[in-house]
Amino acid sequence: MKQCKVLARAILILAFSLSFGLSLAQTTLRVMSSTIVESPEGEVEQAIADAFMAANPDITIEFIGTPMNDMFKVLTTNAIGGELPDIFTNTPEFVAQAADLGIAADLNEIFDEEFLSGFYPTTLEEATVDGQLLLLPWFTVPVGVLYRADWFEEAGLEGPQTWDDFVNAAQTITQDTDGDGQMDRWGFAMVGTKNGSGFFRFTHLLRSQGAWELYKDDEGNWQSDLGSEGMVNALRIYKELHDGGLVPPGVTETGYGEAVSLMASDKTAMMVTGPHTIGAILEQNPELEGNIHSVPVPMGTDRSASLGIGGFSIAETSENKEAAAEYLKFLVSTENMLEWNAVTGRMPAQIEAGDQPQISGPIYAGFVEAITIAKPMPQAAFYSQIQEVMGEAYQAVLVGGVSPEDAAAQAGEQAAAIIQDAQ
Amino acid sequence: MVSQPEELKSKVSSRTYIDKTQMAGLWFALPAALALLVVVAYPLLYGFYISLFETNLLNRWDFVWFKNYARIFTSADFLGTIFTTLKFTTGTVAGQFFIGLTLALLLNTKVPGRAFFRTILIVPWLFPEVVVALLWKWMFNPLYGLFNDVLLKLGVIAEPTSWLGSTETALPSVILVAIWKGYPLVMLLMLAGLQAIPQEQYESAEIDGASWWQSLWFVTLPNLRNVIMISLILNTVWWFKHFAIIWVLTQGGPITATSVISIDIYKTAFESFRFGPAAALAVVVFFIVFLISIGYQKLLGERQ
Repeated sequence: MKQCKVLARAILILAFSLSFGLSLAQTTLRVMSSTIVESPEGEVEQAIADAFMAANPDITIEFIGTPMNDMFKVLTTNAIGGELPDIFTNTPEFVAQAADLGIAADLNEIFDEEFLSGFYPTTLEEATVDGQLLLLPWFTVPVGVLYRADWFEEAGLEGPQTWDDFVNAAQTITQDTDGDGQMDRWGFAMVGTKNGSGFFRFTHLLRSQGAWELYKDDEGNWQSDLGSEGMVNALRIYKELHDGGLVPPGVTETGYGEAVSLMASDKTAMMVTGPHTIGAILEQNPELEGNIHSVPVPMGTDRSASLGIGGFSIAETSENKEAAAEYLKFLVSTENMLEWNAVTGRMPAQIEAGDQPQISGPIYAGFVEAITIAKPMPQAAFYSQIQEVMGEAYQAVLVGGVSPEDAAAQAGEQAAAIIQDAQ
Repeated sequence: MVSQPEELKSKVSSRTYIDKTQMAGLWFALPAALALLVVVAYPLLYGFYISLFETNLLNRWDFVWFKNYARIFTSADFLGTIFTTLKFTTGTVAGQFFIGLTLALLLNTKVPGRAFFRTILIVPWLFPEVVVALLWKWMFNPLYGLFNDVLLKLGVIAEPTSWLGSTETALPSVILVAIWKGYPLVMLLMLAGLQAIPQEQYESAEIDGASWWQSLWFVTLPNLRNVIMISLILNTVWWFKHFAIIWVLTQGGPITATSVISIDIYKTAFESFRFGPAAALAVVVFFIVFLISIGYQKLLGERQ
């Protein structure tokens, strides 16, 4: 009896020691991700993480899901509170701010050259600030136009190449299909909200008119074309689409999610967006498989596209940088990238995955072409203020009764004041 | 008669007893005082401290004295934001007061099902603000919303209206939601006040031939003065700095139609990452709200 008690105690002590030792060896990686909360992206990302954990039982991935439009606010708050995760979502729009805050580690010191040479050079350029690689590109979401190929075929239309084509197509498609006197199908799902989703889409229209919201001149000084003729033209196009009844009512309430639902529910024919939206639309309405095609953003005086890079940064304060690097390497492997693309539509930032036959055909044609003409996003810590000015300008034209000329003039003045303040 | 040394002893022991009593009181009050210092005084003082800098709160602290305040008071945008905030606050507080008082007066009578109505009318207050805002956002939806559906069928409107997307209707729509959310608190406060009014005063007024309106004006409202003051102060302060409902419904848009001061502070801090100017705005709001509460007290304070 006494021997049994001694044996039981010994087993307990051994079990406790083992579990304590294992917990010491266990690494938990906290990953703040915007895609984990989206569908179908979240399912794929979780599956990849599960596969990584199965292959690396000493590492646990713990996701902190944060919607993209809130990501950088939450991240900044966490940074101030000393609660940065090990890995966090980052994009070229925020990378300069991340550099300013000093929260992202230089990935040139974590990943070797051979690994990094497997990425499209343009993606690494956009991820670099002052020679430091601050985010590892995971996917690109080049912006183009998704359109209902079946409706276009019925109407004898082709994918719009210019903004005149775009407006004409929208006019043709916009109809009262059930004859009840109320319009129930519109040509364009315009994202008119004053947030990242709205800013991003308007930026491409603006640039197609030969105007840039923010750029550096030859002397390295920041400049803005928000007061230019290009801005006036961009605002005129938005006004024409809205006032012509070619967009559903409530344009300033239509964010990304609402626009996706409009496309999926057969309400709208076109949307300025990236290939990731294909997955979101098909998830809501699988019957649209094969009916969504793409073209680049229509041409104004210029061609416009951006890479729309999404990726991850490793926090400067992370104590698990090696484990984080292992996870990210696994995440961007060719096999996982192709699975990611197949389900979500987001395109690989990795060359080997991007060269696969899967990334071709009429669905991706517009986006593949967009990558070849993509221009980088400005890297300025005050970029969000310029975007806010842009958002107020297009909303003022859409619902505020302000003329494009007046809205552009005011936006130009505000942008100049912001730049002067920053410099 | 007590001799001098004994008198002295008595005074000393009294003083000792009084000191001990006072010290005991201080010790008992100390935890609450510390809590107030940590939770109230420290954030206020730290916020004021941040307002003197141009900072990202991490690695950049540029001391700019009162430049952030100078920018605020010379900015036309700030005045516009304050004006929008005052419109929102006035509309919300007035609407809640009118509806809350009316319902309280009704519930203070012997109406059938009074207990049921008292319960059901509190329901809006029980919902979290974000839930309330999301529910109403769907009801306001131009394509799928309840309001447009009903109004179209009744022929009141000819085509769908974007209630939250129009500069004319966005602010009234947001005020409507805020009134719906907040009237139960006013109703409860007024009801408690009404039930404390002595019935004899109404009987005297009836004997003197007072009408219902005269009873309301000369008996009910004067007796409710303190409750009204408390309700107005609390409500005005609460809704002046309100954020959640407006953010979920419109995010301050369209353009700046519903851009109240709290939205402005949030955007300055968390979208532009300019914490110094945001803190300065918050300090200014504190003083505005403080002045409003003093104004209420002077206007509605007890009269001899």
